[in-house]
Amino acid sequence: MTVVEEVTRYVGVELHEEDDGRIVGHVDLADHLRGPDGAARPGTLLTMLDSAGGLCAGLAALPEGWVVSTNLAARFVAPARVGPIRMEAAVSRVGRNNVVATVAISDEGTGVLVADGVLTSAILVPEQGPPQWTRPLVLGRERAPEPQPMLTEWLQVRTVDGGVEMPLDEIYRNPWGIMHGGIVGMLVDLAAGGRTTDVVLHFLAPNRVGPVRATARPLGTRSDGTVQRVDVRDVGADRVTAVAIVSSS
Amino acid sequence: MTAYPPPRHLLWDLQLRFDHGDGASRATMPVVPGLCGDDGQLRAGALTTLVDVISGGLAAVTAQPNWIATADLTLHMTRGASTGAVEANARVLRAGRTTVVIEIDVVDGGGALVALATASFAVLPRRDINPDINRVREAGAPGTAAPDSGLTMPYGERLGITVVDAAHGVVEVPVTDWARNSMGAFQGGAVGAVLEAAAEAALRDASGAPLVVTDIHATYLNFGKVGPLRTRSVVHTADDQRGVARVELIDTGAESRLMTVARIVATRSLP
Repeated sequence: MTVVEEVTRYVGVELHEEDDGRIVGHVDLADHLRGPDGAARPGTLLTMLDSAGGLCAGLAALPEGWVVSTNLAARFVAPARVGPIRMEAAVSRVGRNNVVATVAISDEGTGVLVADGVLTSAILVPEQGPPQWTRPLVLGRERAPEPQPMLTEWLQVRTVDGGVEMPLDEIYRNPWGIMHGGIVGMLVDLAAGGRTTDVVLHFLAPNRVGPVRATARPLGTRSDGTVQRVDVRDVGADRVTAVAIVSSS
Repeated sequence: MTAYPPPRHLLWDLQLRFDHGDGASRATMPVVPGLCGDDGQLRAGALTTLVDVISGGLAAVTAQPNWIATADLTLHMTRGASTGAVEANARVLRAGRTTVVIEIDVVDGGGALVALATASFAVLPRRDINPDINRVREAGAPGTAAPDSGLTMPYGERLGITVVDAAHGVVEVPVTDWARNSMGAFQGGAVGAVLEAAAEAALRDASGAPLVVTDIHATYLNFGKVGPLRTRSVVHTADDQRGVARVELIDTGAESRLMTVARIVATRSLP
């Protein structure tokens, strides 16, 4: 199993396991993680949420199995402008089939809560067995060299009718060979306009072939912004792989 | 086994009519004053009940012969509804070995989208205590409600919700037969009404503005079977246009076990 995924290196996620099972992580708020307004892009925050919550859930599923993300939800409370960013994930429930982990993301530079999220994962038993870790686990000390390309450039995103599309190169895949859930989150945010304030993302099927396309459909406009439905599609496999409901400012 | 739902039950009093097909379901609910807030619009917590019933039924049909448990429910309102009836249409997004995902759109009498909701269900091995979904389908068929059924007071009041501490979003509610589901636990959709009451109290107190709940994302961790159920809330942000709160629901009669964690958004108004 690849211990450090490319997306983890790109975002610069460092994670470690606490004695009580929580996963705590940090990310330096580098320029390539910021959007046009100078704050961390919601999509990169979703990647952090998925990484910290997924690892926390996976460790809770051991020794019987490991996990895949099925549902990721977050409300963005305040922008992250200073950094470093801190993630703290804790397991709320371990069931027979799934694990629920809550994740709080804060900006240590300002001390404010940035996002409040929850990740639900399904427990699966991989063919080769669950990954073997040295405990307590420390992950992600290996950083990609600076400077990194900006997010849209790194993802090779191009605009298509009603949304965005990206190739499914090796660097976007997780150890199971499918698109990393955090990258799906990045794509959803970009399709919705990059100003996500609230997202619920259901992972329905893996992205295996590519290219992967996300298209947004406005549902309505309220006093606090627009509500959109975003479909993610594995174009090469001709199937919908994720559905999200996104509120944007 | 006692027939479910009993003669006096929220499913009858909310006058839900539903039809669970294979792969899709449809349900209607009249918009009555008891389901509306002080702005005269249908409450999000009323819609979660409709959404929970229709999605749970469809998920149970889809998961047969296994049974299901609600894992999470989300609701995003896009416009208000104050008269007539709303119609919910549910479809299966995913029917996997361990998970069923349902999407539900709710429209008003003119066909305009009122809310979009999603619900995820964990697929569980069937046990003897699980109801026969086909029997539930029959019970929910049109024309089976008691003749005097109907909601004659605000939904929250009928549930027995009391605000204990508005500033901290603390509300309490008993677990009565009127609001139990087929498993004997507090109905998941009615949980939405409790979460709504807690968040609304806290966010209105924090903002000083008449915010109304528009989005609910609830993650269900455990059943609430004993009661009273009690919330605790944290206001993340609140101004005169928008507020966000985190609400937790515990069953005080079951060693204060955590039942549900939720994230709630409230805004000033809906179109």
